[in-house]
Amino acid sequence: MPWLEFEVNGQGHRVEVELSTTLLEVLREQLQITSPKNGCSGGDCGTCSVLLDGMLVKACITNALAVHGRKVQTVEGLARPGELHPLQEAFHAHYGAQCGFCTPGMILAAKALLDENPQPTREEVQEAVSGNLCRCTGYVKIIDSVMAAASALGDRESL
Amino acid sequence: MTSTEFFRPTSTEEACSLLARYGSDASILAGGTDLMVAVNQGQRPLAVVIHLGSLGLDSIQATGTELILGAAATHTEIARSALVREEAPLLAEAVRSIGSPAIRNMGTIGGNIANASPAADGSVALLALRARVRLISTRGERVVDLEDFFTGTGETVLRPDELLQEVILPIHDLANQWRWHKLGQRNGSVCAVISVALALRMEADVCRHARIAMGTVATTPLLASRAGEILSGHRLDEPLVEKAVAAASKSIPERDGARASAWYRRRICEVTLRRFLTPLCAPGNEVA
Repeated sequence: MPWLEFEVNGQGHRVEVELSTTLLEVLREQLQITSPKNGCSGGDCGTCSVLLDGMLVKACITNALAVHGRKVQTVEGLARPGELHPLQEAFHAHYGAQCGFCTPGMILAAKALLDENPQPTREEVQEAVSGNLCRCTGYVKIIDSVMAAASALGDRESL
Repeated sequence: MTSTEFFRPTSTEEACSLLARYGSDASILAGGTDLMVAVNQGQRPLAVVIHLGSLGLDSIQATGTELILGAAATHTEIARSALVREEAPLLAEAVRSIGSPAIRNMGTIGGNIANASPAADGSVALLALRARVRLISTRGERVVDLEDFFTGTGETVLRPDELLQEVILPIHDLANQWRWHKLGQRNGSVCAVISVALALRMEADVCRHARIAMGTVATTPLLASRAGEILSGHRLDEPLVEKAVAAASKSIPERDGARASAWYRRRICEVTLRRFLTPLCAPGNEVA
């Protein structure tokens, strides 16, 4: 049976998969990492978003075997013990999470943006989450949260 | 030995031998943004997968006269490439309108072309830019004009043992004016209702050459060759623009699609091209 070795949130794994298995199926069903959700299975909704070698991808249309030798990060790997990531803090403080289903994907899309562009404009945030659907339609709060996290991260840098 | 196999060739020679061996039983996996959607929908059983991730096919380089894009260059890489933005800004703009950031991080220009969707934003821009594609196999290689590549929706001249290796863009005698318009039902993460690409070379108020291509108007990305010919070699003025607009509109087949009617697409084509071309007309000759 085909297999792959890869890292999730700093921990190595070896898993056996089918040719058609997606990264999302490996994460949720084999590794019980359930922050990435299955919304559409078609790469449209973004609830399955994860970071692959730091780059935002849709896990539901990422072939698992193509991830061999690579590093995946999910929301589970963001917080340190006893300390939320500034994006998580900001989503909490600014009501960026409503029902919460899209939140892990939103946070990772935002992280991919802030890692490259630490002080984005609201328009740049909007573009960065354009592949992440929130059906509570609370985009204003989500963008507020990302802007707040950017400024918190900026303050931390300047300390 | 199992009945299913996943290959990670490390050279184009190895990839071609695998294709020669497995032919149409093999599925080529680059970014997977089209393939895996079909797999998830149960439309595409996988028997043998050839993954292009280890081929180094993602380079973007310029020779003196050509810009060469490796087939596995992603939309993000193309949109950010200083070379592409300098030599073919139309392409950078078009691929930036594909899907969403995560899709552009994974999807490749080769996949955009080879999957032959009539809506493929990259292919539409490449048609306007007179692109050619290099197809390789163990039998040798051939270079095909992109306008001769598509034969139908999801259908191309690519043979089962051939690999789309690179996209070649001429950069001498370059178009110096370009326009891109993608109309969708929203701005992000959307398939075009119609897309229009224009690439032309203006010298004073004379159009040296012009190419107009459109997406989601026919069974393949469509080059409106007649419309381009009408403009080429002439001073641009209102009657000429109207003639080209009418030719482009007429090139759209009389067939209503899932997202819009032919009537609507023709209207958008006309309005878009007028908006593109009017500012290029000689002063005093603007379209009303």
